[in-house]
Amino acid sequence: MAALLRSARLLKFSPSGLLQITGTKRNGPPLGRLYSGAVGGRRTGVRSHQICPVSQHASSRLWPYAPGCVRNYVVATEQKDEGNLSVRSKQMQQFDWALTKLDFSVRRTGRVTKTLLLRIFHDVSRTGYPSGNQALLLLRSCGALLPELPLEERTQLAHRVWEKLQELGAQYDVSHYNALLKVYLQNEFKFSPTDFLAKMEAANVQPNRVTYQRLIAAYCYNGDIGGASTILGFMKTKDLPITEAVFSSLVTGHARAGDIESAENILPMMRAAGIEPSPDTYVSLLSAYAEKGDMEHLKQTLEAADSADCSLMDRDVMQVIFTLAKAGHQQHVPEMIERLRHERGYIPDAMNLCLSLITQGQEDTAFTILKTFPMQHSENFNDTAVNMGNFFLRHCISMNTSLEKIAYYCKELQESNLHASPLSFTLFCALEAKKTETSLELMKLLKEQNLPVRSHYFWPLLTQSLKESNTAAVMEVMKGMQELHVSPDVETLSKYILPVFPSIEAARQALKSADISLDSERFLNSEIRSVAANNLAELYTLLSNPSFPSLDLSVFRSSLILGFKKSTDVESMVKVTELLHKDVRFSKESSNPADAASFFLYNLISSMSEEQVQEQEDKLRSFLNQLHAQNVTISVNIFRGIRNLLESYHAPELIKDVFILVDHKDQMSNGSASASGTAHVIGIEGKLVALESKLAELKAENKPLSVILKHLIQTLSAEENLQRALELKQQHEDEMTIGGYATLINLCCRHNNMEEALNLKREMSRKDSSVALDAGKYIALVKILSLNDKVEEAVDILKEMKEKEVVINDTYTTTVFHMLNAVAAKSGVSAVRRLQDTIFTLGLAKPNSNLCSPVVTAYLDSKDMPGALEAALECQKRYNQMPRIHDVIVGLVEKGDTDLLQKAMDFVSQERGEMTMLYDLFFAFLQTGRYREARKIIETPGLRAKPGRLQWYSEKCIFNNQMEALEQMVDITAKLFECDRDEMYTYILRLCKNTNDWQKAEAMWTKMQEENVIPRERTLRLLADILKSNSQEVPFEVPETWYAQAAPTRDERDVEYQPRLITLCKKGKTKEAYGMLKEVDKKGVALSPLSYDHLLRSLLAEGSIEDAMVVKDIAQSRVPGFKLSDSANNLLIITHSKKGQIKDALEMLRSMLQLGHLPTHLAITRLVQALGNHGDVAGIQEVETLIKGLGTNPNLSSMVFINNTALAHIKNGDLESAVELLEGIYTRPDGTGSSMSFVFRKILEADNDKALDKMSAMAERLANHFACYRPVSDLFLQLLDMDKVEDAKFMLARCNAVAEQKEMLLSFVAQKAQSPGQVGKIKNLLSLIPDFTEKEVLYPYIMKCHVMDKDLPSAKALHEQMQKEGIVVDELSLKRLAVLYRKTGEMVPFPEPPESFKFYADKLKERAAKAQATAEE
Amino acid sequence: MAAPTKKVFEVFVSKIPWTAAGKEMREYFGQFGLVKKCLLPFDKETGFHRGFCWVGFSSEEGLNNALQKDPHVLEGVKLQVQRNRRPLAGPKKDSEYD
Repeated sequence: MAALLRSARLLKFSPSGLLQITGTKRNGPPLGRLYSGAVGGRRTGVRSHQICPVSQHASSRLWPYAPGCVRNYVVATEQKDEGNLSVRSKQMQQFDWALTKLDFSVRRTGRVTKTLLLRIFHDVSRTGYPSGNQALLLLRSCGALLPELPLEERTQLAHRVWEKLQELGAQYDVSHYNALLKVYLQNEFKFSPTDFLAKMEAANVQPNRVTYQRLIAAYCYNGDIGGASTILGFMKTKDLPITEAVFSSLVTGHARAGDIESAENILPMMRAAGIEPSPDTYVSLLSAYAEKGDMEHLKQTLEAADSADCSLMDRDVMQVIFTLAKAGHQQHVPEMIERLRHERGYIPDAMNLCLSLITQGQEDTAFTILKTFPMQHSENFNDTAVNMGNFFLRHCISMNTSLEKIAYYCKELQESNLHASPLSFTLFCALEAKKTETSLELMKLLKEQNLPVRSHYFWPLLTQSLKESNTAAVMEVMKGMQELHVSPDVETLSKYILPVFPSIEAARQALKSADISLDSERFLNSEIRSVAANNLAELYTLLSNPSFPSLDLSVFRSSLILGFKKSTDVESMVKVTELLHKDVRFSKESSNPADAASFFLYNLISSMSEEQVQEQEDKLRSFLNQLHAQNVTISVNIFRGIRNLLESYHAPELIKDVFILVDHKDQMSNGSASASGTAHVIGIEGKLVALESKLAELKAENKPLSVILKHLIQTLSAEENLQRALELKQQHEDEMTIGGYATLINLCCRHNNMEEALNLKREMSRKDSSVALDAGKYIALVKILSLNDKVEEAVDILKEMKEKEVVINDTYTTTVFHMLNAVAAKSGVSAVRRLQDTIFTLGLAKPNSNLCSPVVTAYLDSKDMPGALEAALECQKRYNQMPRIHDVIVGLVEKGDTDLLQKAMDFVSQERGEMTMLYDLFFAFLQTGRYREARKIIETPGLRAKPGRLQWYSEKCIFNNQMEALEQMVDITAKLFECDRDEMYTYILRLCKNTNDWQKAEAMWTKMQEENVIPRERTLRLLADILKSNSQEVPFEVPETWYAQAAPTRDERDVEYQPRLITLCKKGKTKEAYGMLKEVDKKGVALSPLSYDHLLRSLLAEGSIEDAMVVKDIAQSRVPGFKLSDSANNLLIITHSKKGQIKDALEMLRSMLQLGHLPTHLAITRLVQALGNHGDVAGIQEVETLIKGLGTNPNLSSMVFINNTALAHIKNGDLESAVELLEGIYTRPDGTGSSMSFVFRKILEADNDKALDKMSAMAERLANHFACYRPVSDLFLQLLDMDKVEDAKFMLARCNAVAEQKEMLLSFVAQKAQSPGQVGKIKNLLSLIPDFTEKEVLYPYIMKCHVMDKDLPSAKALHEQMQKEGIVVDELSLKRLAVLYRKTGEMVPFPEPPESFKFYADKLKERAAKAQATAEE
Repeated sequence: MAAPTKKVFEVFVSKIPWTAAGKEMREYFGQFGLVKKCLLPFDKETGFHRGFCWVGFSSEEGLNNALQKDPHVLEGVKLQVQRNRRPLAGPKKDSEYD
């Protein structure tokens, strides 16, 4: 941030200065053109036939995008729709992943690494069927984004991608050809533009404006003005606009043709045509001079650009530097370096420049650039030294830069304190790249500088040779070691050198003959280690030889452990352990060999992972038992240690095998964990009483009628019958409850009856002065008082709220906002201000920008700009909020009040930082149509994209249908640092969709190509939608309707059959399609896999398995390697299952799993259910084992298996087993939450009374004895769900704890509210258990039901009821209701919440989570 | 080899420069107390160590001495040293240094 501010200040930015420009220009004639003339902004071109390179005059007539001029695209082949869903969704995820990954890389570093790109390429190839935008993404990345790769290699890569993806069936459209052209240009690849055009024509792809522009650039790069003119001719005939990009190319073209004068003349020509030369134009001219080394003209041009107010960014200057270096004019580079301004993003740009220079052999210039990098000062002196230039050194190594140069760079870096240890870092890179020769040379340099060279430095080199078993390479490294006087240590020998030789003896011989001397003790140690790790039998022979010297176990312990883990030779394991146990040669003098051996056992187990122990359980058991047989013992301590390990590995079975090793003297007892169940204590008495009293009330005659009275008043209130309600109140003053008063007060407020409201409130206080209304009713009171000019009384109410600790939560905050806004509109600034201040000072609500805004709104409404600004500034000072600052600034810009604007800007910048201020100003300029000024702001050095703010303004534009402002914004931000271009274009497309403007949408697609933007899938879909709904051809492959050909050999005629076949399938005429296929097959025509798959799935969907199998056979005979797609496989399992062909279904599942395909949940569930239906318990078990064996068991509830096993038992008439199974589950500590609704449903559906009796008895037993209420609740809800209300009622009477299962009941409600026509079931539940949850929770669900049922009258009634009862209607419900109103064609009588459903749903979730968190605190 | 003591006085060290191996680690941490074990796993694929290491002292004193010192600098690089929270969680890898 600091860096950013520094650079922002460099500009000495003054908004009023900008305004002044506006002021003067406003009077001048060119003004209109400058800031609102051209629709296309900078890229507006002139009519092509009026300008050609030789013509000296050009029309100044502006030529906005001609509609239709880029319309003639090829239409992707008619084989869309219905791709394989699983591949497609995988592909979408993959694309998103790849895009994010590449995008992140590009944003952070401005480049992509070869490794990453290749990885994505391989992933895409492996998945198959690459999509259009995957191809685009890969192609685009093969150019300048790969500075680390030589140019030829990049082009080769691009071609590889192009061909491979084409082979895999990617559909190429004009955007791909354009991307390829861009890559050619960036890679300076020589190609024939005419051939390229011919290739496009052959592929039936129409070139567009961008294609021509790039072809012109290609001709110009070679100085071929003639060629460029030809293309210009094409453009002319097609009436395409000539943009500034073409002019820039022509500058290069003339210069390269040796005609610098014509190049210079392009600029005035552009101006004459009404196009300002852009930075790109200047860079073209600058590069022309740079190639010639003409510094004088170069500097003149730089000045010209400056005075033309065309600011060159660092990136532009870097391009000139690059050209200078490549043309051999390095001596002028420093002069250009001075021009660099170190903008934000300088470092990645400069890094890429360095990399490109090194790649192209200009490392000295690269080093000069490296030295311009700002020093990164470490804040902590003690911190690790900052090392600069790592990337530089690494790339030098990978490009094989000469060692002398590298040594020089290292020395320079170290001497100028830029890098603490450049040489050892460079060595690291060389080792990483496994460059043996370079590495050894670098080690010599290290040694010369008296830096240590250690054995392990050679390991990276040795690992490679070891893997390849390359003895010669190992010897070479060893020679290098000897030359450096590094003698390999035991570790190096045993792990990296000896294993490459077939035997120890061979190694000894080889080294001897190569004249490499070795320490004999080390060699022995290494030998033992090597043998210990690889051959236990040999080890035993060696060690047990009495002539073997004494050797501490610690020397080879870890190798031995490794050997034990790998080996299956239990006999040798036992022998070795026994030897260690007895023989003193292998333990330190002071200690006992038995201890060492038993500790070794501990170490062995400890070094194994849980999986290893479990896998090798049998081996370990046999090992331990044999040890016992050999009288090997361990101490109790060691036993404890091993026991703990085994317990943590979940391998308790082995403990007893270890235990027998313990000396009998001190065997000890084993503790056991005690399980303790928790019982729920539930107070059901209160509920009972409430229910009874309610019953009693229904019959109330002589009893108190206060409750009934309350209900009555509430009902009256719902009917808005204030008068009758008041009468009732008067008749039964004594019976009035507080609730009744509250309802009445609210009613009065709604009827604007302030006097009565106050009276009622006084009466209520007389009854009980401590009572408080809820926040909503208080706010209603405040509102009515303020609107009736009784602000002080309103303030008193607020104070009372404070005293009575009434909380204004999130929803009420909105109510307060609306109240303040109403007051602002009616009673003016002072009233709002008074209320607002009181609310904040009392702390009733926290100031936020919404709550602060009404004051500003009041000023804005009265057009009092100074007042509005003052108010906003005051809010900032007092509450740290700046409400409606955008509107205020817009107002000021419109009025042209520079002084106030300056004041506002200074303030914003001081309070919120310059970045915020710049954006505020930017949006204000856009809003008021001052685009030139807006552009200036975005060009401020150091400014970066703020996605949130850009989105905010875009949404505003979309909402208010401001296309011009939006388009300008997108155009202006083209070069803004870190700006997500796809996102920006999506905003425009969204607006295009709203306005149904397909021409604009199509023009945007061309612009995206010009900018080299890779559209995300959703962008393409959006664009395709717009085009389709206007009956336009979609010139690219739409991701949604993706599918491609896998069989390139297919017959031409397939093109005719396929669409018909698929159409028939889609129309449900599967039989006809099937007939057609058979006919076609007789003719010997092979169709695409897609066609077969499609028909297969249609047949399966109809349940025609036999026919489907015929199709499968045909497909397999026609398409080699044809396999059913995952979805067809799944369908097949489902169909088999449904038909009860469980054997076939099971077989299908097995073969699917064998091929490594994952069946869907649905398929597994259907199969298991079918097995359950058939009473096939064993089958279910098999499926369960198969699925669990996958390990990746994707969220499939284990209850699927349990419930269906239970059903299978029931089917077999074995009720006892079913009960036993389920009871077992529910009495397990972790099993109480599982649902068995499915079992109940099935037996209820089957009317199996016997089973139902058993099961419900079990459920009740579980509830009464084990406090496990899940089964009984499942049954209860299942009864309700099947509309067996009476049964449910009895159930409840027998087991009233069900009424306490709030969460389950609520989730029933939530679930029912998902589908239409279910509101009755919810009502039934409520009739049985009236108030298991708060109305605030319940009503939204009921509202959802009504909306689901499209039942506006009920929804309206509910809404009113909620208002009457003073229940705040959350925004989500309001939104739903509003949509229902609109769908029914009625006016929405309240402001519809503006955000999306998701937004409000998330908001509710967040609030619920918060409430949960506070409740838990 | 001595019988195992119940407690492990271990530190977990990370950000170790590639130039240092087990020997250097033992030497460096030896200044705080007797180093009983030192585990610096090497990657078989790359031939470089993974940048972290477990150092076990034979006494609590050694552990405390090591923890009190800050910063730890080895070969010009600042090491990150912290008490090893899970004493039994040593690497179960096949690479070891003993």
